Amino acid sequence: MSDAFTITDEQQDYSQYDLEANPFPYSPVPAEDPEIYCGQQHVSDKISSTVSSMLSTGKSKHLVVTGKYGNGKSHTLKYTRSLLRGRDDVVVGYVAQPGEGFLDIYHEFVYDLGFNRLQELAYEFLASVARDVTDTNPIGASGMESLIDEGDVLLSEIVPESIRRLSDVTKFADFARAIIHMVYEDTNLYAWQWLTAEGIRYEQRKEMEIHSALDDDTMGVRAFTALKNMLLELGYTGIFVFVDEFESIARLSPKDEQATLNSIRHLMDQNSSGLCMLFGCAPEVWQDVMSEYHAFSERIGEEVALKPLTSENLYELVRDYLDQERVSSTENEGIDPFSEEALDLILQTSQGNIRQVLSMCSRILDDAAKSQENKITVAWAEGKI
Amino acid sequence: MLYRRRKLDLPRGELDTPVLFPVRNIGKRSSDNTPTYVGTIPEFSAAMINARSIRNRDPMWQRISNGVTLREEMDVPEDTIVFADSGGFDFANEEVDTTPAKTLDTQSQLDADILGTVDIPLSRENRAAENQRRIDQSIEYALKASDHHDGVGLLFASVHGYDPETIRNNIQYLEKNGEFDGYALGSMVPIRTDYKKITKLILSARNATDKHLHVYGLGGLVYQPLLLYLGVDSFDSSAFIRSAGNRNYLIPGFGGEEIRNIEELDRLPCPCPVCGQKELDEIREDRTALTQHNLWALATELRRFRYVAESGRDIEEYLDLRFSGNEVTKRAYETAKQQMRRLT
Ligand SMILES: [Zn+2]
Repeated sequence: MSDAFTITDEQQDYSQYDLEANPFPYSPVPAEDPEIYCGQQHVSDKISSTVSSMLSTGKSKHLVVTGKYGNGKSHTLKYTRSLLRGRDDVVVGYVAQPGEGFLDIYHEFVYDLGFNRLQELAYEFLASVARDVTDTNPIGASGMESLIDEGDVLLSEIVPESIRRLSDVTKFADFARAIIHMVYEDTNLYAWQWLTAEGIRYEQRKEMEIHSALDDDTMGVRAFTALKNMLLELGYTGIFVFVDEFESIARLSPKDEQATLNSIRHLMDQNSSGLCMLFGCAPEVWQDVMSEYHAFSERIGEEVALKPLTSENLYELVRDYLDQERVSSTENEGIDPFSEEALDLILQTSQGNIRQVLSMCSRILDDAAKSQENKITVAWAEGKI
Repeated sequence: MLYRRRKLDLPRGELDTPVLFPVRNIGKRSSDNTPTYVGTIPEFSAAMINARSIRNRDPMWQRISNGVTLREEMDVPEDTIVFADSGGFDFANEEVDTTPAKTLDTQSQLDADILGTVDIPLSRENRAAENQRRIDQSIEYALKASDHHDGVGLLFASVHGYDPETIRNNIQYLEKNGEFDGYALGSMVPIRTDYKKITKLILSARNATDKHLHVYGLGGLVYQPLLLYLGVDSFDSSAFIRSAGNRNYLIPGFGGEEIRNIEELDRLPCPCPVCGQKELDEIREDRTALTQHNLWALATELRRFRYVAESGRDIEEYLDLRFSGNEVTKRAYETAKQQMRRLT
């Protein structure tokens, strides 16, 4: 029994295909920060125009990306997020699914931003106040942090003023206090818990002089809007929110579903600038939303549909993946070792589902390397599918 | 281990630290009810006094203005070292009725060796905004004192804050913008039962400066070893007087014991010059004797710690034992130990 498993860290050799490694993901889950987007031109165009319009005009714009399970909605959202993350004038958050209502969307969004990012924003706000009321000129969050640590500015001078101004900007004093408390090591975890709507004990709230609990959709909308207004005040262009698997709202009771949609609608109404929401949604659920909740669908307005892959799409996708691991990068070897016919077979078997396509390619390439096939022909692939 | 031994260079000579300043009531009531200790307890040749209450006691202030020395008023030798705090503790509820210049003037007329700057204490009950205002005000007073200080006597800036950032920030700010010989942490008394918080605050101050660090109001039996462990250079206490007033007998390692609980004893478990000679009955009737013993108890606590450190014994082991008797202080010490480990 001792040789039932063979465990080795020796790498499979792909050199016969001029590859460093198998470029296809083993598990067909979209990468957190995808590097490849091989999509569908009309989708890229639509997303680009939505995103660019918000970036250039500052006016809010929203979009729904529909597509059947496995056609690349998550991949599309995550790829867009990874492009935007590189920009320092926007804040981007990804929500894997809407959960039980808007408060969960808010929670996931803030959580995705992360503790450190929120703390940085708090320091940035203090910096903006310090530039105003002291003769220091802090650059960014870390500049502000070191001015405080070094004693170049007095916390007791800038904190009350910061809370006052942030309350003005956000019209939400509790939110302002929570943000500013992100810079105090004794209270920043409580502040974070409050800001993520995780709930904290009354005594902890009292220590920060926070009077309200952030525990329903209305408060969630208010806190989100406060956050966005703070960002605009700091000179950011806006916030991008990516809500994936939006179809799961169909699992909610009709009452909760309506409440969630209403909250999102309120959010959009209160944020006519600086907000861009991208939803990924199964087409049938989106159809229902369109027909039943006009008030909501009117505000989103735009929809783009991911289609199943064509063979042209697939060749391109496979080539892009293979190119990532090509040893001799000068020579474009196309889809080798796959033959077009083999890929057509894969496409047919997967019905154009990109997720399945990738995992099949991965498996077949491994098998081919093991049995030292020179070329993945349709005949050979047939036996492997 | 942050415990450290230093010397303070004062107008009346050097003072070995860490040191306890027993609080004298002089000026506070009709007469100073502190018994003689200077000269009987060698390491306590120092006292903490309240500059404001002396100034506000007209007859006494007039005598002092006419050439009687503070030490004569206190009935102590002229070389007794005096730390004059501003009396800011009284401003918790009263209006500030002095200025940094006026307080400095009083402190120098008293020939004080150490001068604490005017401050306004914080309270947990205050709104955060009010506490921020008080912190700000105390900083401003300290900087004014620094401007006016003529260099005679050491000037300690009073620092307040209920979070580590504020303490660190205040000390750094004062370090940049004023000239101080040391720092004194105030507003600790209202939160003294929150050992974890106190420990954090003291550590943040200790890390922010290498200069002398005094902690106001926490020099009682329980806090003393903790403060020494955290590297505090000096502290003050009126616990010996207050305890005597409540007929409380202080014993290092045990805390306080109400005398009525041990009435049957003939002799007390302490070899100090008071208890070593007298029977419990005599001490019970004699508040001065009880006060003196209590001071000896504080001295013993300090001597033991020094002994443990000097003899190369493991201080943490000693403190493990020392705090094992009481759950609350034990937890406090455990917290301090963890925070210390994180530092090193
Ligand atoms: Zn004794």
